[in-house]
Amino acid sequence: MAQVAVEVPPKGGFSFDLCRRNEMLSNKGVPPPSFRKTGTTIVGLIFQHGVILGADTRATEGPIVCDKNCEKIHYMAPNIYCCGAGTAADTEAVTDMVSSQLQLHRYHTGRESRVVTALTLLKSHLFNYQGYVQAALVLGGVDANGPHLHTIYPHGSTDTLPFATMGSGSLAAMAVFESKYHEGLTKDEGINLVCEAICSGIFNDLGSGSNVDVCVITKGHKEYLRNHQLPNPRTYVSSKGFSFPKKTEVLLTRVTPLQEKVEVIERGDAMEE
Amino acid sequence: MGDSQYSFSLTTFSPSGKLVQIEHALTAVGSGQTSLGIKAANGVVIATEKKLPSILVDESSVQKIQTLTPNIGVVYSGMGPDFRVLVRKSWKQAEQYHRLYKEPIPVTQLVREIAAVMQEFTQSGGVRPFGVSLLVAGFDDNGPQLYQVDPSGSYFSWKASAMGKNVSNAKTFLEKRYTDDMELDDAVHTSILTLKEGFEGQISGKNIEIGIIGADKQFRVLTPAEIEDYLAEVE
Repeated sequence: MAQVAVEVPPKGGFSFDLCRRNEMLSNKGVPPPSFRKTGTTIVGLIFQHGVILGADTRATEGPIVCDKNCEKIHYMAPNIYCCGAGTAADTEAVTDMVSSQLQLHRYHTGRESRVVTALTLLKSHLFNYQGYVQAALVLGGVDANGPHLHTIYPHGSTDTLPFATMGSGSLAAMAVFESKYHEGLTKDEGINLVCEAICSGIFNDLGSGSNVDVCVITKGHKEYLRNHQLPNPRTYVSSKGFSFPKKTEVLLTRVTPLQEKVEVIERGDAMEE
Repeated sequence: MGDSQYSFSLTTFSPSGKLVQIEHALTAVGSGQTSLGIKAANGVVIATEKKLPSILVDESSVQKIQTLTPNIGVVYSGMGPDFRVLVRKSWKQAEQYHRLYKEPIPVTQLVREIAAVMQEFTQSGGVRPFGVSLLVAGFDDNGPQLYQVDPSGSYFSWKASAMGKNVSNAKTFLEKRYTDDMELDDAVHTSILTLKEGFEGQISGKNIEIGIIGADKQFRVLTPAEIEDYLAEVE
């Protein structure tokens, strides 16, 4: 049978083989590399017509910001999204895996995925790994039973809440929610509240920063607002340009603006024969 | 046939060089309900008869044409339960490919995987070959494609093909009617006419199934109402 080359530990579960080696290395003075964590402020709330999820966009490696605009709101199903805090690799891998399992389940049943299905798949996986998969998630979506919002902790416990925050900036964001959340928020009120909560995390927590991503999920429709707010723009581009030390003769000046996005042009007309 | 002594064991060649079990599997396919596929210039259509054993069967619960990925669909002739098993395996293969490469599986790759599964069952102990032939229709970066996969695991790309009970008449009909620059709608009409050729009884939106994929690369099964519209156009 054609084996898809995804390495799985033979008996399932974590393989502790390298722990002895790591211990020996740290005893000899070689510190283990720091993980890319997402520091993070992630939030979710239930409003009149569905669920709104929000996240900041800073990823850190210890004290260094390694990604100023990462995506923390992950796709699970057309009607379910999941924000992830903790170790970036863990959140991405676990949401990706469960998203794949949900797709297979949709093929088998011919029905829209339910939030509790995603919840159970995620919590079972995290529990099996006894907290070693460091992913703290805020899962939200709208299915046949209405809007749902859950938090999932790295050890596999879950909460079901009308509004939730996770990550290092969760206290800052929760302070905003606790004072301003009420039932029956409209979409705009909800988005504003989510942005306020994330900004509170961005400005008051070192592990969170940069921009605000928002995702609005309603029955049969979703809006992924990437970089909905950019409260931290670059303001330090020097207008003088680059100046060379004295006695350097400038022969040629050519300014190439850096392109942030690559535009893929759809294939135009077919080549003429 | 002198081959009959070798017809019981799958893994034994007969003196004439055949695996007789596979021949029998093809016979099973040949007595299944007619199905066909046509590759148009801008899409692919697959269709099949949906004759139910009794009028008491709820025909909306029977789905002979299945979607394997958003841009690949499949129809069969032969044993329904074998088809179900293959479809389940294909869903999983396609999803594993997507998980690994973050790209929708190309049609040729999926066909190759399905064919590999079917071949496995012709070279293992204690199993029998699948009693189905599949027509896989897809639209990816290489344009519209139509593949037929047989119980032996061999597959071919076709411009138009038919399988099942009425295969020889249907193929002759298709050979006459097929043109390279056919549009998808023309292909649907041609497939309805081909099915009509060998159809016993009154053809309607409820006793045939049609699946199409166009330039939008979304495979979908037509509703009975849509089929009725096409039938009316053909009359």
